[in-house]
Amino acid sequence: MNTSRRRFLQHTLGSSALLSVGLHVPAFLARSARAAGTGTGQRVLVVVQLSGGNDGLNTVVPYADELYAKHREVLRLGADQVLKIQQGLGLHPSMDGLARLLEENRLAIVQGVGYPNPDRSHFRSMDIWHTARPEVVDTRDGWLGRALDTVPAEERRDVAGIHLGPSPLPLALVSQHTSVPSLESLERFRLKTAGGAMATSALAELAQAPRAEQSELLDFIRRSTLNAYASSEQVQEAIGSGTSGAEYPEYALAQRLKTIAQLIDAGLSTRIYYVALDGFDTHANQLEAHAGLLREFSSSVEAFVHDLAARGQLERVLVLAFSEFGRRVAENASAGTDHGTAAPVFLAGGAVRAGLIGEHPSLADLDQEGDVKFHTDFRQVYAELLDRWLGCPSQTVLGREFAHVGAVAS
Amino acid sequence: MLRAGSPTLAEVDPGWAWAPYEPGPNAPWSRDLAAHLYRRAAFGADWATLQRALDEGPAATVDRLLRGGDGADSFYAEARRAVEPLLGAPIEAGHLPAWWLHVMLRTPHPLLEKITLFWHGHFATSSAKVTDPWLMYGQNALLREHALGSFRPLLHGMAKDAAMLIWLDSAVNRKAHPNENFAREVMELFCLGLGQYTEQDIKQAARAFTGWEVRRRRYFFNPYQHDGGEKLVLGVRGPFNGEDVLQILLEQPAAAKFLVGKLYRYLVSETLPAPETLLAPLADGYRQRDYDTSWLVGTILRSNLFFSRLVVRTRVKGPVDLAIGLLRSLEASVNTYALAEDLAPLGQALFAPPNVKGWDGGSEWINSSTLVGRANLVWALVGGADNRYGNRVPLERLAALEGVTEPAAVARRLAELLLGTDPPQAVSVQLAAVAADNSITDQRLRLARLVHAVATLPEYQLA
Repeated sequence: MNTSRRRFLQHTLGSSALLSVGLHVPAFLARSARAAGTGTGQRVLVVVQLSGGNDGLNTVVPYADELYAKHREVLRLGADQVLKIQQGLGLHPSMDGLARLLEENRLAIVQGVGYPNPDRSHFRSMDIWHTARPEVVDTRDGWLGRALDTVPAEERRDVAGIHLGPSPLPLALVSQHTSVPSLESLERFRLKTAGGAMATSALAELAQAPRAEQSELLDFIRRSTLNAYASSEQVQEAIGSGTSGAEYPEYALAQRLKTIAQLIDAGLSTRIYYVALDGFDTHANQLEAHAGLLREFSSSVEAFVHDLAARGQLERVLVLAFSEFGRRVAENASAGTDHGTAAPVFLAGGAVRAGLIGEHPSLADLDQEGDVKFHTDFRQVYAELLDRWLGCPSQTVLGREFAHVGAVAS
Repeated sequence: MLRAGSPTLAEVDPGWAWAPYEPGPNAPWSRDLAAHLYRRAAFGADWATLQRALDEGPAATVDRLLRGGDGADSFYAEARRAVEPLLGAPIEAGHLPAWWLHVMLRTPHPLLEKITLFWHGHFATSSAKVTDPWLMYGQNALLREHALGSFRPLLHGMAKDAAMLIWLDSAVNRKAHPNENFAREVMELFCLGLGQYTEQDIKQAARAFTGWEVRRRRYFFNPYQHDGGEKLVLGVRGPFNGEDVLQILLEQPAAAKFLVGKLYRYLVSETLPAPETLLAPLADGYRQRDYDTSWLVGTILRSNLFFSRLVVRTRVKGPVDLAIGLLRSLEASVNTYALAEDLAPLGQALFAPPNVKGWDGGSEWINSSTLVGRANLVWALVGGADNRYGNRVPLERLAALEGVTEPAAVARRLAELLLGTDPPQAVSVQLAAVAADNSITDQRLRLARLVHAVATLPEYQLA
């Protein structure tokens, strides 16, 4: 154990006696004494959420399809613009970063991903992707939260998952037993105790002192408070490590991924990281906005993958990028697109079976709303990531078996 | 009646629940309940306000909150004069959130701001997309105008509000290609809730809103882009325009239920779901009174259920509640530009809700990052070392502490002021130790540490 880690443990665990009460104490606190530094070698999943409904049709573009040209008079991307993947299909011109990853065999694109009876509400559809329960409205936990809960308490270490971004914790990471912090930035995650403020341990003692009142909500806040103070210190320790010197673009997404690369390289045994890029709800004047978003997405992921490769960490990291739905095939009169259904899902990393997986959904066979039909259930992708990447039985998390899509290299 | 310790409201008699609370031997009026009322219907209270509420009783205090305090008219006239010169600056200047926080901090009518904030979350529109400060301010003024009025003009006003028109793309909703964004959200988020309409209803309603545009920063009806044909919306057929659709929505019994459910959660409890039968009298009454929000809010705030022990501290304070509540309790003014900046990472950027659904509230406010952030914000406000906040909060001159000198008594009084009640025994002991810490010689700093300790308590995060 390194000395800084030991100092943290003495400080946080020793002086405040976090462990002495009946309150549920996160297992990572109890375990980190033994587990310090054991994150090395564990597989990591990094989820990039494209919020708002990414226009899949203008992301992986069937540029030669006459129906595409017909439905997309204004928004059409031509053969001379797209970055060709194979005959008739090309990536959006902004996605040169992902095109390079494809050439390097570090990118898989699963096409036509959706679910039965698609819901076109942002919130409901996002909930469906997050909970992996399309049939019922049950938002108590998410698929990743349930996955974290399958880890036996005595094996949980450090912070099990981290959401990096300004919004609240994504439902996907909500779990019954594992607390996942949501961080705007790592600096925001440092309890300031200069200038005479109360020490962390004193504040923790106040949160922890016994209460007569029985209140689930109060206990939740107490647990969260103790978690917050402890994991705050833990992350500060982890980011003491340096950067690799890799170049990242200035985008917020890129900067978040850069932080994640640092945490991974520092040996933090966090298994799941989550970031989001918002703005894909392009109902009007889509061309320019969408191009900017895809550039941010593509160049940020490319920089991240290359940084991890340089650090020798890429083999144990896999990136999953999804959106809550694609958009309607026919553009609207505002030079935008309305809510649709199936869209491509991206997987990047050192261990993907690179290339296109599944056919581009047919534009000749639309549903009654005028949307493409999905042929691959998103839970098939989840199942494969759970079974073959995170080593977590997918049936436990998803409720039943799903055929894998073959995106993780064997 | 309520059964002691009952975790649900399933067996609560609706007649009793919404009857006015009258203090009695079994349910005495107390500082704790007065503080509860001020946490929910206002942004906390200072010592004098709590004392007055104790003296006057619940009915008079609720009346006062609904009416607003003395000087409200001149305060708002002055607030309007203050904001107008700021509207020419770009949205990034941050004038609007700072202005609104200032209003919340100083207003003699805090309930009005509290409900305006509710409607801001309900009709969540963000300056991330609507970058014209005039329009964002205009919407805020509209929310305030109808906050405690009728929902009907509020809904009609919002449907034609220029910021809303831009926000939900109805401004580019053309006859040939209706844009469904507004039609969907007006049903899902503003009026009915999920499951009360079909995809077809949305498509048809979108046609009715075609031609609603923005010109010269105002709503403009463009008859050339309006689809005047027949539509079928929620089972009714006709050549509807947008107003007709809003009318149809307000005729749905689901509308009052949906709105009452949301206000119940905002004012009464986030953790105790109310059965439909419990909310039915409120929903019926709201509809019968043409969506008179003042009646609804007044009925809730006066009620037995509102003042029952079951619902006290069953909400999580939002960041604005936390900060404005703390400052109002401490009779303090700070630089609200700095405050707006610090509230955003805690999850509540005014004029910039996270999405069209608004703030989820409840446990969504709470995570490791926001809890560390809340602790840091409290210290920034009271520690006296953060220059961004301007003048120091005058802790030495707090009315609550007049004549109180003994450390344990100081700790107890501050807890009464901020929590409304005595903290748990083990916490009281620790707080007294903080108050008596002789290693801190600066008296103000000692008080600041005490406030920091109380305002970071898990109890203080609850409303």
